[in-house]
Parts: sequence; C-alpha cells; structure tokens
Amino acid sequence: MLSTLNKYRHVFLVGLQSNIVYRWNFAVRSFFSLFQLAVVFILWGAAYRGATTIGGFSLHDTLTYFVLLLVLQFLIGAFQEDYQISEEIRNGLINQFLLKPVNYYAYRFSIFVSARLVSGALVFIPLLCALPFIHGDLTLTFEPWRIALALPALIMSALIQFTIAYCFGMLTFWFLDIQGFVILSFAIETLLGGQIFPLDLLPAKIFAAAQYLPFFYQMYFPAAIVTGRLGAESIGRGLGIQLFWVLTLLALAQLLWTRGLRRHTAVGG
Amino acid sequence: MSLAHYLRIWLASARYAMVRTLMFRFDFVLWSAVEFTWMVVNLLLVQVIYQHTSSVAGWSKYEMLLLVGTSMIIQRLFTGFFWSNLFEVGRNVRTGHFDFYLAQPGNPLFMISTRKLDPDGLVNSLVGFAVVFYSVRELGLHPGAFDIACYVLLVGCGVLIHYSVMVTIVALPFWIINSQGIEGSYFTLFQFSRLPREAFRGLASLLFVYLLPAVVVSNVPANVLRHGFQPVPVAWMAGIAFGWFAVSVLLFQAGLRRYASASS
Repeated sequence: MLSTLNKYRHVFLVGLQSNIVYRWNFAVRSFFSLFQLAVVFILWGAAYRGATTIGGFSLHDTLTYFVLLLVLQFLIGAFQEDYQISEEIRNGLINQFLLKPVNYYAYRFSIFVSARLVSGALVFIPLLCALPFIHGDLTLTFEPWRIALALPALIMSALIQFTIAYCFGMLTFWFLDIQGFVILSFAIETLLGGQIFPLDLLPAKIFAAAQYLPFFYQMYFPAAIVTGRLGAESIGRGLGIQLFWVLTLLALAQLLWTRGLRRHTAVGG
Repeated sequence: MSLAHYLRIWLASARYAMVRTLMFRFDFVLWSAVEFTWMVVNLLLVQVIYQHTSSVAGWSKYEMLLLVGTSMIIQRLFTGFFWSNLFEVGRNVRTGHFDFYLAQPGNPLFMISTRKLDPDGLVNSLVGFAVVFYSVRELGLHPGAFDIACYVLLVGCGVLIHYSVMVTIVALPFWIINSQGIEGSYFTLFQFSRLPREAFRGLASLLFVYLLPAVVVSNVPANVLRHGFQPVPVAWMAGIAFGWFAVSVLLFQAGLRRYASASS
C-alpha cells in the first residue's frame, strides 16, 4: 500500500516540477480571468441597481459567489486534462502504462493534483492585486461548519471535474478529434455548474432537477455551501448525491478504459 | 493585382470549404451545435437576470436581447469568415509554416485571412438575426429602410473591428515567439460586447468604451434600431473600425518584416 502511494507521490512531484515550468501560462490565464470577473462585476452591478436583492441575495453575496468560483476554477477545475489524455492515446504514449504496474487513472490524477496546486496558488496573485478595488464588494463572513462540510464537497468536486475530463479523453479510442465534444460539454458544464449565474436563480423546478445532475456538483455546490446559498438539509442530501456521481463516473471511466483498450493498437517499440 | 483576382481566389477557397464541409458532415453538425449551445447559454443569462429585475443599466429585457443578438451576429460572421484562419497564424509563425502563405499569389494578409471558411459560424449568425428580429418585434420598433441599411453597415464595421483586433493579437508572435494561447484574449475582450454601455462606469468605461472597441462594437448598431440613426455614434464607430484596421495592417506589415522563417 505504502509503496503504491510512494509511486504516485513521485508522479506528483514530477508533475509539480513540470507545471512550475509552465507557471507563466497559468499566471497569464489567471490574469485574463480578472477580465471575466470584471464582466461579472459590471453586469451584476447594473442588474442590482434596480433591486436590493436578487433571489434573496444581495449584490455583495452574488459577487462573493463569483469570486469564490474563480478561485475554485483554478483550484479544482480540469483545464487541459482531456486534451492531454487524448494526445497520449493518439501518440501511443499510453503503451508504456500497459506494461508497467501503473494505474493510468491514478497517474493522471496525480498530475492533475500537482497542476491544480500550482494554478491554485497562482490565482491568488491577480486576486490580491484586485483585492484593494473589490474587497468592499465582498461578504467575507464564512461559518466554520460550512467550511467543514465544504472540504469533502471540494474533494469530490475535484474528482468529478477530473473524471469527466478523463472520460472525454477516453473518447479518443473511438474518435480522432474530441475537441468538439469537449467544448460542447464545457458549455453545458459552465451553464449547469453555475458559472454563468448562480443556479438558485433558476425557476424552483429546474433548480430541483439540476441537483440530480453531476454538473451541479462541479462548481456550484462547494461555492454555494461556503457562501450560504444552500441550507444544512440541502447540503446533507447534496453530499450523498455527489458521492453517487463520483462512484458512477469512476465506474464509467474504468469501463471506457477497458473497452477502449480493446480497440487500441500499439505500434512501434 | 485586381479586385477580381482576389475575388476569384476567395471564391476558390469558399468552394473548397464547402466541399470539405460536405465531406465531414458530422464535424459540421457538431461544431454548429457547439456554437449554438454557447449562444443559448448567453440568452439564458439574460432570461434569468430579467426574471429578477426589470432593467439593467436602463435596458429592458428585449433591448438587452437586441444587444446580445447583435453581438452574436458580429461574432458569428467573424468566426465564420476569419477565425480559423487567424487562429493559426501564431502557430505558423512559430513553426515556420508561414512561408507557405508568402509563396502564394496575393497579399499575405489576404491569403492568411481567407484560406478557410467555417459554414457553422455563418449558419449560426442566422440565429443572431432571428434574436434581433424577435427583439425588434417585441419592442414594437419599426426601423425604416435607412436605419436597417445603417444597421447592416455597422454590423459590417463590427466585423471589421473584430478582424482588426484579432490581426493585432496574432501579429504579436512576430515579436514574442513564445506567446501560445494569446488568441484566447480575443474572447476575453469581446465578452464586454454583450453589456450595455451605460453599465460601465469610471475606469471600466475609460478602458472598455473609449480605449478598446469592446463595447461600441455592438452598442452602436443596437442603438440604431432602438433610437434610429444618430450621426455622432455612427461616425465614431466607423472611425474606430477604419482606425483599428489601419493600425492592425501596419502592425502586421511591421511584423512581416521581422519574420525570418523557422523551417529548414
């Protein structure tokens, strides 16, 4: 068990070094995300000029939600994992894992964790630059019990994010180019993950239905726990549904891997 | 070289693009669905916001849809005609494949801009037109022929602004070779085109309304339909379009002089 963990610890450390090499890419990306934040501040600021609360939440609550969402994107979001996995399958780089006692999912997940550690740290640089301008617009009163419940939700969100990206990468066994699928899925995940607007602003029935989809647990769920947009009962039920989706997606990832390998042809030495 | 010569080149490229689309029909359907989904996402945002408020910066729901629809038309026309071509420029400069365009019979900027055509973007621009048409009807507007002609011309200016900004962005790799992913800043900038000008205040107004053409590009044409022809904003937008075009061409030419090829 310990030797297995040690194996992936090394993968994690190599991944960390490799991602530190690309620190400027992450830094530039996090800088551009400030523009995305500016759009949010301008749009919602204008929408709130006609109303003190929207969906029961103040402007500051909503802006805090979006700032937290930005941090989560860099901390647990899957950026390029689907394309990287696709590339490794197309180029035959996965062949080496077929001959070694290395689990490909665990290998890629270790690299994902190291990459998010680097990008998660770098997102704080532009945020700290923006803080003098935006701190007055934020509601920074986080309750300890919410933080405690948000931690397992965050870990499961990261697993869902990564596993969905992994499954899309696996599609390369069947399709030469997965970019269209990935961008289509990204649009759906962005919308139903609450990155366009807080999902609780949807009509009640649609919001209730959205809670049964995996996208709900990618970003919205942990952000809503911390920012107080969900009550204790909803959080408890949500953690159960989230666990269900983690297990379902892990099973799907394993199925796609085994089925995909049956189609795979390894050529060359 | 004559205009007819360039038209023949463009028609040959367009014919090739259509043949390619017919060969890869599934790709066409998939990418049309991708773009359509993103448009629906933007429309849903408007729908959700206006369920909770009646006005955003003085714009009603259907006025906002008119703005978003206009922004969609301009962006889809730009992506349909130019995006795939310009997106590749940075990579081609880095790898040396840019040589291929220099050896072609025509102006290099024209050749890199028109080689491909994305019918999915062009088809989806019809969705934008439908959104604008629906909004105009819901608002009870009756724009005259002159206003409509002015709107169409301003949409053309909008496409020119998108094109010029993108040429400016992709000219940067001539100076900064290691600038992968810089093309994405185009989408970052034009997110602001879906917002009403009145929503911008202070520094944001200075930056996105006056210094960068991100807001003007969709607000001015939408306002022509809302309030009729107003000479000052229309002249302002036309000036911005031609100004940015001139700057982008000069920048591209300067970059071209620096290009030393990377192939053997």
